[in-house]
Amino acid sequence: MMKTSVKWTCITLLVASILMIVFTTNIATPTFGESQATVSEASVESYPNQTIEVVVPAGAGGDTDLGARLLSQFVGEELGVNMVVSNIAGAGGSVGSREILDARPDGHQVLFFHNNLLINKLFGVSDFDHRDYKIAAISTFDMGDTFIINADAPYQDAVELADYAVENPDELYFGTEVGGYTHLQMMAFERETGASFRLIDVGGASDKIVALLGDQVDVIPIAYGVTTDYIANGDFSSVGVLAEESRELYDNTPSMVEQGIDIEFEKFFFFAFPKETPDEIVETFSQAVKEVVENNEEYQSRAESYYTIPEYLDGEEAFEHMEGVREYYTELIQTLEEDES
Amino acid sequence: MVDLFLNGFVSVLNLETLLIILIGVALGLVFGAIPGLTAVMAIAICLPITFGMEPLNGMALLLGLYIGGVSGGFIPAMLLNIPGTPSSIATTFDGYPMAQNGEAGKAFTLTIIFSFLAGLLSFAILIFVSPLLASIAIEFSPFEYFAVTIFALTMITSLSGNSMLKGVLAGCLGVVLAMIGMAPIDSYPRFTFGFSDLDAGLDVLPVLIGLFAISEILKAAENKDDQNKKRIEIAYKLRDIGISFREVFQQKWNWLRSTLIGVGVGILPGLGGSTANIIAYATAKNQSKTPEKFGKGSPYGVVATESSNNASIGGALVPLLSIGIPGDGVTALLIGGLMLHGLNPGPLLFEQHGDVMYGIFAALLIANAFMALLLIIGMRFFIRILNVPQHLLLPIIIVLCVVGAFGVNNRLFDAVILVACGLLGYVLIKLKIPIMPVVLAFILAPILELNLRRGLMHSNGDWTPFVTSPIAFVFLTVALISVIVAVRNNMKRRRIVGDQ
Repeated sequence: MMKTSVKWTCITLLVASILMIVFTTNIATPTFGESQATVSEASVESYPNQTIEVVVPAGAGGDTDLGARLLSQFVGEELGVNMVVSNIAGAGGSVGSREILDARPDGHQVLFFHNNLLINKLFGVSDFDHRDYKIAAISTFDMGDTFIINADAPYQDAVELADYAVENPDELYFGTEVGGYTHLQMMAFERETGASFRLIDVGGASDKIVALLGDQVDVIPIAYGVTTDYIANGDFSSVGVLAEESRELYDNTPSMVEQGIDIEFEKFFFFAFPKETPDEIVETFSQAVKEVVENNEEYQSRAESYYTIPEYLDGEEAFEHMEGVREYYTELIQTLEEDES
Repeated sequence: MVDLFLNGFVSVLNLETLLIILIGVALGLVFGAIPGLTAVMAIAICLPITFGMEPLNGMALLLGLYIGGVSGGFIPAMLLNIPGTPSSIATTFDGYPMAQNGEAGKAFTLTIIFSFLAGLLSFAILIFVSPLLASIAIEFSPFEYFAVTIFALTMITSLSGNSMLKGVLAGCLGVVLAMIGMAPIDSYPRFTFGFSDLDAGLDVLPVLIGLFAISEILKAAENKDDQNKKRIEIAYKLRDIGISFREVFQQKWNWLRSTLIGVGVGILPGLGGSTANIIAYATAKNQSKTPEKFGKGSPYGVVATESSNNASIGGALVPLLSIGIPGDGVTALLIGGLMLHGLNPGPLLFEQHGDVMYGIFAALLIANAFMALLLIIGMRFFIRILNVPQHLLLPIIIVLCVVGAFGVNNRLFDAVILVACGLLGYVLIKLKIPIMPVVLAFILAPILELNLRRGLMHSNGDWTPFVTSPIAFVFLTVALISVIVAVRNNMKRRRIVGDQ
């Protein structure tokens, strides 16, 4: 016979373990090994009828994650269901993206990601890009990508930086993530101005800040939003944002284009479903995103506090936009390869 | 500064915030105590909840979870020989033998006292000297990181048990496991054999839990009959928890050294609590006059690991709070927590949001006290776990391990890794190959490779900066000396064994 205390401990442990399972597995539908069954007429009409899982192929706490959580809250309200974020990080985002590629096409799992989906394929990290999904919408842009330098550097705007790097080739250390979005930015700047930098891999946004603070590198490509404190502090300054025009959100920092250097890198965040997802479902979802992005003032102000610009493009426009971006990136990489050969 | 501090305490000392801290610590302890669930996971799950809270309350909850999550890991480590979190791996070495010797109560009491004191000292360091420490950490370039990691790797020699050869072999195995997945910098897939699931490499948590927990459970399954009786006997000996003042006092240098190691390792990004406890343990063993007692239930081993892992919390918060840079997975989440509330992490945090920041300091100190309090109250209940028959307890732990492995990245594949590493761990135990070096090498090899390659990018392929940088030179020299000493001791020991 078991003692009562033992029995209770067992029960408590069991209950605890069940609770833990419920808590830790924020997952709406199991995704392993099931067939790509087509979705029935009835479930198309009743969509959405269960929790929607938003897969973020990046770690918790970063800009993609925060953006996804913010949107999930409001879009979920709009659709009348819960939306939960699952972080599936790894291999530059290709692990999480693949999860949606293979997901059940019933609209209850959706990918939230940015430009890196395209870049991963171009650099050979993955073998799929936006063409392998059904794009629902672009919801947000970050048009504040910028090159940051130490405030006491002898060059203080983009033209001076370019001139310095032309006169002193390979002298300035450019701290980036090799094969990432910001690597392309460096290549574009070099191509446009004839400048040449020493490429140094330093890692993600916070690693770049450390590297610049510690004088290990001279220039870092980074989102304006995460450096505002250092600029206000007098440590860093920005040579210009990589966009068409300057914006109040980014303290009216002059854009590269305004300084006569024609490079634009706009980070866009999008929702994408598996290719086989019925159009009606994608449309329902897209409309909810549109409603939030265009009309929900609370969302808009929260998004701006993260230094992102709420702007909606529907599925088709988003796809076209990404095609254009893809073409630009492909061309950039080709010129680089030609230079090397 | 004093009145800022008082204001910080005033803003925390209300029923709501205190309750939030208490809940955070309690939940953190549960996550820490359950093998497979960690502080990172607890914080990741609760991050969305803080969305609707006041900034300070939100951070108080997350910090409570952090402190609880790091502290709770010793419970299963001592009672079941299964570390609850990566930061209490080394606790199994001496904590479990102590419990087996009927000294579970003493081990618990020492842990609680020194976890609390280490937390206190590390937070004091955080509050008073963090700008200075952060400015030193910034000076660390890839060359210095490389040297520090090499130094940490030489700890394998102290963790190898009787055979240095087997220790090195185990270390190599850890490096091999770490090589799987995309290479750093150029993202070249290695040893993936075309499986896209392996692209991201093996995650630390499933590997650790597999090697330590699953293998331990498999081992327990071997002797299914006699284990139960023995454990219940041990459990009742907890009653005498008294330790003398002298026993506490003689740990003072050990505590101080381990705490400083914890803070130092915590500051450096990428290393953190999971490495701190191993390094502190190995150092305590190396410095000890009676190293042969380590691994057989030495209170010094317990105090070293349990001081260092709590101290690593203060260390990890140094770069976060002074310059807005995350040091590890947990602090990256804490940054997310700050940003959720529009507090942009950076050097101006204190100027712009001083009220919140001093509130955070106060919350840390209170959470540290709550941690000790909850553990003292809970001590008697934890031990009840041993009353549960193993055929009920261990399957539940396996389930929780699988949940934990899955929860790391919401991938079932990680559960497969968990089981595979469990089997590997079991084979290693059977071959009498120590597991610890596998783990240490597995954690450190990627950091080593990344910084080696970044360093060479910096110097344009030149190796000399790795030795000409003063900090790097010191660490490499110490590493070399410690290897030489270890090899000599090993040879001496062999000769003695040979003579006998």
